[in-house]
Parts: sequence; C-alpha cells; structure tokens
Amino acid sequence: MPISRKYLPLIAFLLLSVWLLWPPAEETTNAGASTKHPEQAQYVIKFAAGWAYLPDTHPFGIGKPLQGLKNVIRDFEARFPDTRIEVLTVPGVREYLVTQLGSGEAPDILNVNVENVWTDVQKGWYVPLDPFLEQANPFVVEQGDATKPGYKQWWDMFRYQAISRGKAAPDGLNYCLTFDMVETGIYYNKTLFAKLGLAVPETWEEFIAVMEKIQAHRRDDGTETVPLLVNIGAFNDWTTDLFFDQLYYDLLPGIDLVQDPTREPYLDGYLDWDELAFLHQKGFFSARDPRYREVWQKMRELKRYTNKNLMTDDLIREFVTQRGAMIWTASPMSYRLSGDKSLGFDWGVFYMPSFTRTTSPYASGQAMCVIGGAATQLEVSNSAIADTDPSLPMRERMAQSQRLKRVIEFLQFICLPENNAQIVNEYPALLPNIIGVETLPILQPFAEILDRRYTTTKWIFTFDLRFSEIQQRMLELYLTDGIDLDSFLHWQEQNIDAAVANMLKRKMPDMQRLEERWQALAPVRATMQDLPMEEPQL
Amino acid sequence: MSVRLQSPLSCYAIVLPSLVLLTTFVYLPVVWAFASSLYEFEIGADSHFVGLAHYGEYLGQDPTAFPSLANMLVLTLIAAIMRMSFPLIIARLIYALPTERWRYIYRIVFLVPIVVPGVAVQLIWADMIYSDFGLLNELLRGVGLSHWTRGWLADPQTALASIALIGFPFVGGFEVLIYYAGFSSIPESVNEASALDGCTGLQKFFRIDIPMVLSQLKLILILTLIGGIQGFENIFILTRGGPGFETTVPGLWMYFNAFSFQRMGYACAIGVLLFAIIFGLTLLNMKYFKSSEDLQGVR
Repeated sequence: MPISRKYLPLIAFLLLSVWLLWPPAEETTNAGASTKHPEQAQYVIKFAAGWAYLPDTHPFGIGKPLQGLKNVIRDFEARFPDTRIEVLTVPGVREYLVTQLGSGEAPDILNVNVENVWTDVQKGWYVPLDPFLEQANPFVVEQGDATKPGYKQWWDMFRYQAISRGKAAPDGLNYCLTFDMVETGIYYNKTLFAKLGLAVPETWEEFIAVMEKIQAHRRDDGTETVPLLVNIGAFNDWTTDLFFDQLYYDLLPGIDLVQDPTREPYLDGYLDWDELAFLHQKGFFSARDPRYREVWQKMRELKRYTNKNLMTDDLIREFVTQRGAMIWTASPMSYRLSGDKSLGFDWGVFYMPSFTRTTSPYASGQAMCVIGGAATQLEVSNSAIADTDPSLPMRERMAQSQRLKRVIEFLQFICLPENNAQIVNEYPALLPNIIGVETLPILQPFAEILDRRYTTTKWIFTFDLRFSEIQQRMLELYLTDGIDLDSFLHWQEQNIDAAVANMLKRKMPDMQRLEERWQALAPVRATMQDLPMEEPQL
Repeated sequence: MSVRLQSPLSCYAIVLPSLVLLTTFVYLPVVWAFASSLYEFEIGADSHFVGLAHYGEYLGQDPTAFPSLANMLVLTLIAAIMRMSFPLIIARLIYALPTERWRYIYRIVFLVPIVVPGVAVQLIWADMIYSDFGLLNELLRGVGLSHWTRGWLADPQTALASIALIGFPFVGGFEVLIYYAGFSSIPESVNEASALDGCTGLQKFFRIDIPMVLSQLKLILILTLIGGIQGFENIFILTRGGPGFETTVPGLWMYFNAFSFQRMGYACAIGVLLFAIIFGLTLLNMKYFKSSEDLQGVR
C-alpha cells in the first residue's frame, strides 16, 4: 500500500532528526579501555577511574578524546594476558557507594574521597594498602636501578608524601592511593584588574579592598560585577578549614593532643576527629569560644562580595562572561580557560591571602595553608578479595587472594612514571604525584601552593555525613541572613554534640589518654589568651 | 469470539499472579519497612531492636520534623489549589471552543509539554529563571528594580515560595486532559436543560459544570496529596532542602537518613509516618469529598 503523501513531511522530519543526532564518525561511545573479550580473561578487574581520565571522553568538551589510561591498560593487559581491566563510569554519590559495597558488587578499584571511606572501614568493605605500599614496586625492581624511587618501597614513588601518607584513616591504616593532586586557587580577570588599577592582594585587608573596588565598578551596560564567585560547598569545606587554621594555629602547641608517629612527620599538628571531640567537650568550638565565633563572622564578611545564590554549580559561566571578576575553584579550571579561544580577557591565579592582626586579634600571621591535595583517590574494595572465604580475617583474605594480587599489580603499574605521565599529563588539569613526572607549566602556580603547610583539620570530613550536611545547610542559612550568629552557633553546637556522641559510640576512642595529655599541656595553655571556658558542671 | 469463564475459581486463578506480584513488591515492603523502623539498622553493620524509639526521636527531638512537615503542608496545599483551578479553567475554555478541530489543536498544545522530563523543567527554572543572572533578576534590573534582585532559591525569605511557583502557569497537560474528559462526559441533555433554564456563563460553570466533574477533581486531589507528601526530587535538585531547613520536606530527610547518613531504621520510621499521613488523608478524602456520581445518586 503506498504511503499517504500526508505522512511525507513527518517522515522527512524524523529522518532529519536522526541525521542531526547521529554521532560524529571519529567518536566512540564506548568508555571501556580493554580490547580483550571478558571470556578470554581469568581476572576481570572493574576500575571506577573517575571523571578525569575516562577513556574517549572530552573533559570540558575540549581537545581530542582521552587515550592515556586506555593505552596504559592495553600495555598492562598485554603483559598479563589473563586479565581484563574494565573502566566504569559510576555515580559519584555516596548512595551508590554504600549500596554497592553492602551487596559486594562494587568495582574492585574505586575513586572516592578517602574521608568517605573512613566512615565505613570497620565494616570490612575496603582493603588496607599499607602492606603493599611498604614493599617494593615490582615493576621498578625489574628495571634494575636501585636508586629509583619504588625500588625499596612503593611509598617512595610519591612526591607529596605529607598529603599521601596523611590519608591514613583514624584506625592508622591507609586505604587510599593518592594518584594525583588538585589545589584550589582564585582565578582572576587580569584585564579587569588592570583596567581598575588593582594588584593581586597579599593580605586579607587588601583582598577586601580589591573586592570593594570591583563591587563599586559598573560595566558598560550599567550592571555590577560580582567580585568573587564561590558556591556553598567551597564555603563549607575550604573556607572553614582555611579560616580555622588562620585563627587556631597559635593554639596548636596547647591543644594538639595526639602525636601519631605514623602521621605526625607528615601532618604536623593535625587535629583528628577524636581530638576535636575532646576539645569540644572542653568548651572549644562553641559559642563560648571567641576564635570559633570569629571563623564564621569572617565568612559572613566574605559573603558580602560573592554571588547571591550560593547553591549554584554553574559559576564558570559568570566568570567567562565577565559578570564575575574572580572565581574560587580548583586547578582543572586552567584547562577550561586555556582552551577558550573566545575568552576575551587575560586571567591569572592567586591563593587566598592570609589574615593579619588587623583582620583578627587571633590571626597567626601564617600563610594560608593547603586545603586541596589528593584528587584521584583510589581505594580497593572488598570485591577484590571476593575469591576468598568471607569468614576469614581481612589479613588472611589479603594473603590468599590472587585477584587482589592482580589488582595491586595494576595499581603499581599505573604508578610507573612513564605510565603515570601518559595518564595525568594527557591534559593540564591535575598535578602528578609520582616522582619523575613533571608538572605541566600551566599548573605550576598550584604546585607552588601545594608546597605550603597542610591544613590543621578538615572539618566536613571529620565526623559523619549528617554533621557535614547540617553544617552546610545552617551555614547557608546564616550566610544568607536567615539566622544570626548566635542561632547558627547554637545549631552548630548541637550538631557537633550529636556527631561526637555518634563517633564515641561507634569508635570508642581512649579519651583518658587525651585527658592525660590535656593535663600535661596545661602550662602551655596558661600562656594563651581567650581560651574558651569549660562548660560549668551542674 | 467471546470466552466464558467456567467457574469463580478460574477468575481467582487469573487474578492470582497479579496479586502475588502486588503483595511481593508493594505490601511486603511496607510491612518490612515498618519492621525495620523498630531497629537501629545500618547497611553492612549489626542491627539492634529499639522499639518505637525512632518515632519518638523524629516527633520529639528531630528539629527538622515540624518545620519540614509545615513545608510539606504548604507546598501540597499550593499544588492542590493550582492543580484544581488553572487546568480546570483551561479545560473548560477548550471545551467551550466551537469546533472539534480547534479543541483538538488546543488539547495537543497543552499536552505536548508533558514530554519534557520533570528534572529538565526544574533545571530550566533553577538555571534560567532563578539564577543570579536569570530571567527574573534581569527583568528586575531592566525595569530599574535592581535592589529587588536576589538568589531566589538561596534566600530564606523566598526559597519555599520559589519552589512552589515552579511550573507557572500550572496548566499541566495531564490535569487539563482529565478535566476535559470530565466536561466531555456531561450529558448533552444536562447542557440543554441548563440553557433552557437560563443558566449560562459563570453560573453554569459553578452550578452545573463543576459538580459534574467532581470525580475528576477528587482524583486530582488524591494524586496531588500523594505526590506532595511523597515527593522530594524537585527539592533535592533545586535546593537540597536548604538554606537551613527552609525547604526541607520529610521525604527528603528520609532519603538523606537512608542513603547518606545510613540510618535505615530511622528513615523507615519517617517513611511509615508519611504512609500513615497519606492513608489518613485519602480516607478523609474518600469519605467527605463527594464525587459527581454521589451527587447524581448513582451509588
């Protein structure tokens, strides 16, 4: 039966739509890197590599499809014909993580912030990597040069030792392989700065003055320019830690209670969750703690110069269209900006300037610390030891598992400088953490920032997820003038109380040991001003 | 060809598979959720019995409970008013069009937006209308009201209202079609009788048309109540319940407790409470909201 002529426009429309939506010939939608059929392999290792190195993708829609990880995987598979590495795209959310790990279906290698891992280490979901990191990397050994990092210990291959070893969990074990680095910076519109006669600020006061001038400036169409683009996530995470470090640094000799021999050489003065919990019980981080009040007051001061909607995720648009003069974000932004041929202005990067005694009487005068650090954090899940008896202790399962052996070999292989460079330096977004792999020139400012001292603590990763969720919500409410400082601090005290109670219940730390150390440091604290009073005993 | 069933037993046999599936996937999870709500239960960890403690904690100690219930009430109430008014008027106007051709065209016009995914609609509103440089703020700047600009979804004064107003002008195709079907089923004799009695215009709308589509209004009301009490995905996308708890609803807090905080038992307790609220409101609706069949004495 002939097709009625009235359907011809519809058919033409559908054909046109199909043609428009057809993918370009040179692209592939297959994110897998292996060329091996699953049936050919004895070990099929699932690798959730994260967004940065996913084969055949275009980060920020720029450049050629990524091939680095794919090439390294092919080399590994050629070396181990019984193994297939499957690169997976998985949701970067905790819901996925928990359900997959709980059911034993998680990828063998995950890429999640290790602080998310710490919450669940007691459940046996993750494999500690210390026994492997403390041994030689066999791929370095076979090259025969005993002077090369990795010949004695795999650990020695990592450039940023403090950050890498500082990823040890509160139980003292390291579940994380710090594959590469990221740091934050304030990207600024150099052209606008030159037009307004502004210099890169070196102190907090200069920074505020710069933002005031930008705020007063009107564009050609009469609209204002937002001085600093930043979202609530950055306020809750980065700003909290930076300001906390600025105002508490001088107190560390009197309040840093635990000297962990494993971590202390790398994390000098770092306050762990049990120390924060103990200090909170002594009155710190409450409305009675003047430094704690100051942290949040300074944050509200900063908010006056930022975008109104803190929940937005699309601040880059405002920066590239010059509605914002500065944006506080992480190093991958350099790649985005350098690839924008129609940007229309020059840009540069500086780090958040430090507080002075004019800013606050509690300012230590220290340069702002590092708050970034590990970017791609690789953890080995319980799927990697699925070939062993689950009733056995973790150590025995690790010793018996052949699958885990292959997983570890793959991780060791991608840490070789020649392989690591192919992956990390395929495009300039993240900084290599392997000695012998150069940092790309455009990322050099971030390498300089990473040379600074590491943060005193990381608040949102210290306790549980409920704590960080509530802190973020109430902080946003406070910053948008929904509640005053005292109400915010009241919420925050309740929040810390609940988080501390939960932690004490779950992990049962030795608080007596902290009390003894607290007493021993009393003479040091006696020389310090404006310490919070302990809660009155009723 | 017609098939006559030989016995009631064969009717039961035919219904049985559906009943088994319904029981397995709908009723048993409800029972399981209630049982789980009595336990402190975390994925991958041991559980222990806590009785009704989670209910007590939610209703007595959780500071989010009553603000979020109030938010849910406000949003559901606004949604019910909107979904029972604007689409009803549009459906009536379409029904009043003189030719079937134009009625068909208008039905299609109002139906087409249904194909746009809900998530896309939320993101369009968040990024294009409510953002700092979105349509609303640019409009205000354009008319010289820059001081009125704000982060609509971030400002505690406007966040809840901004969420409630998403979907303006509230003429979703689904509701329009349901109401239109109701108007179309009004017997012609009723229309003729009302015309003979001089009942036209607004008088006819309120005295004849609305009573005749009460069944449809009742259906939309029940669906809106259920959706309003259960739903949280739009808030999750837009504000995650913030700033503070200004836009949090119980369903969202249940989700956070289950999958983020890993307090499965507590989340189940919130879920059971929501179930009880929906069940109670549906019963009230069934009992007190008359349908057109009730008014006509069909039942």
